[in-house]
Amino acid sequence: MKNGIAASRGIGIGSICRIIEHDLSFEANMVTDTLAEKARFHKAIDEFVEDTNAKAEDIRRLIGEKEAEILLGHAVMISDPAMSGEMDKMIESGQCAESALTAVCDMFIGMFSQLDDDMMRQRVSDIADVKVSILKRLLGIEDVDISSVAPGTVIVCKDLTPSMTSQIVKENVTGIITEVGGKTSHSAILARALEIPAVLSVPGIVDAVNDKDTAIIDGNEGVVYINPDGEILSKYMLKREEYIRKQAELNKFIGKETVNADGTKVELFCNIGTPKDAKKAVECDGEGIGLFRSEFLFMDNTHLPTEEEQFEAYKEAVETMGGRSVIIRTLDIGGDKDIPYLGLEKEENPFLGYRAVRYCLGNVDMYKTQLKAIIRASAFGKVKIMIPLVTTVDEIRLVKGLVSEIKEELKAEGITFDNSIEIGCMIETAAASLIADLLAKEADFFSIGTNDLTQYTMSVDRGNPKVAYLYSTFQPSVLRSIRHIIKCANEAGIPVGMCGEAAADPLMIPLLMSFGLNEYSVNPVLVLKARCIISKWSKSEADELTKKVMSMDSEEDILKTLKEAAKE
Amino acid sequence: MVSKSITVKNEQGMHMRPASLLSQMASSYESSVKINFNGNSYDCKSIMFLMSACIKCGSEIELVCEGADEEEAFVKVSDFIENGMGD
Repeated sequence: MKNGIAASRGIGIGSICRIIEHDLSFEANMVTDTLAEKARFHKAIDEFVEDTNAKAEDIRRLIGEKEAEILLGHAVMISDPAMSGEMDKMIESGQCAESALTAVCDMFIGMFSQLDDDMMRQRVSDIADVKVSILKRLLGIEDVDISSVAPGTVIVCKDLTPSMTSQIVKENVTGIITEVGGKTSHSAILARALEIPAVLSVPGIVDAVNDKDTAIIDGNEGVVYINPDGEILSKYMLKREEYIRKQAELNKFIGKETVNADGTKVELFCNIGTPKDAKKAVECDGEGIGLFRSEFLFMDNTHLPTEEEQFEAYKEAVETMGGRSVIIRTLDIGGDKDIPYLGLEKEENPFLGYRAVRYCLGNVDMYKTQLKAIIRASAFGKVKIMIPLVTTVDEIRLVKGLVSEIKEELKAEGITFDNSIEIGCMIETAAASLIADLLAKEADFFSIGTNDLTQYTMSVDRGNPKVAYLYSTFQPSVLRSIRHIIKCANEAGIPVGMCGEAAADPLMIPLLMSFGLNEYSVNPVLVLKARCIISKWSKSEADELTKKVMSMDSEEDILKTLKEAAKE
Repeated sequence: MVSKSITVKNEQGMHMRPASLLSQMASSYESSVKINFNGNSYDCKSIMFLMSACIKCGSEIELVCEGADEEEAFVKVSDFIENGMGD
């Protein structure tokens, strides 16, 4: 058994096909027929450019613009007078194409690796990529044709490059194992997009296996087995069938409404972090966006995003959702989420400090830019504004005041927007929970953030292993807090959702149903699972269980009872 | 010959995409299109040299065009740089 990083879910069993890096050594001959040599060289370049452009098009379709542009840049690089132009000159002086290519590329690799600029140093690998691709063409080395591997193939390679991935035929590849890469690497993103089980970062795997070896890939746990014995193999074949059966059962819920066993409808939304995730939410059958974290705009950036940049990102998500709700949470930074260029001061107690709405209300210009971008996006669908870390009613009033100002500005500028845009708040602090009845008079909706609510209610730093055992949403105090928040919202007649991890927890769902939660917002991949579990509970069953659980005084008993009653 | 100083405004400076677009634009002119920066002169027709210049946001560069169509090249290229190079 070998361990790696679980990068794409599922279980794959199949026969290994290794993608090996070739020996690219050549003899540096002098050539006499320089015209013929140049023709040979340019044929290789032309093929490379044509191929690269085609691959870029595939990548654009499969992954996105940014990744495609990197490949397109490869074609521009080789066509540069400083690249192919210089190589031509060397060939004219009698060098062979391989020598000319290598000399010029290595010169640039040396030059770029010494630059005092991170982004440019990254180009070193691009130049090396270009060099290797063209060298292979010149040497007549053919890579394994990934597009034609037999059904049931497990691909084992050092790293899965974008150009390799674009050739994968989903039906024929049952698993991917690589030596490098993490959860957010290209390989992982690609494997998940293709829904192929993948385990990455397995040290030395390429040399440790042979072609045709049997491999088991457990993309849920991040383990692989090479030539497993019969016992393990049959265990995993069962596991695989079970996984496929469960997936098939879940697939029955595609396109269905989210209703409990009595037929009462609730909303099942998704949590997303980028506009691109909205596509995922739609693909996974989410009925809206319950939490669009806006931090990515600020964190994946070197500068404060402009109104226009933000507007475009929000609009993209809103248009993707085509009229379904998109709840955008305004900037939630500070605490554990730092943004270098904002120059935030280090604080003794960041989680109790200058963060989220507190920071935003102290930096009104920046906050107004974000609110304006969100309100402008409301012209393209159903947008709602959500304020994080509220602790006082005044905070909502202040934000509403800013929103009114912005609406006037937009009217004066003749820009359209949804005048009835809703403004709600996250309930994730003990203070907000205690005054939920007061907040409900000002807010258009609530969304319970269980991660922070648990942490603040239990006064526990979940990163501290000595006290982490106290961090549980199933603590009687946290459950009481959740029950109270939902009750206040129901009494005030405003919708209440939950966007923390707990909303998709099979153990929590009956409690939430009994409390009267209206909207569950979950990770897109958990939509069908949550819908399936909700469908299995009737209100009376959920009430009965909840009554029992809410009379208990220990988390241990509560969990035990919920596990016994669980329906999966 | 025409020249002027320009401050680079796009946040990521001369990274791959701007360099790619700029080199393709400059190559469409007969005139030479060069950037003087940090005591060196870089040929704008080359993506490789443009990237190697490490031009960042806020960098002050001098654009120099010389040749038959220098006016047109100068206007187009300076517009492109001043408007954030497509970022």
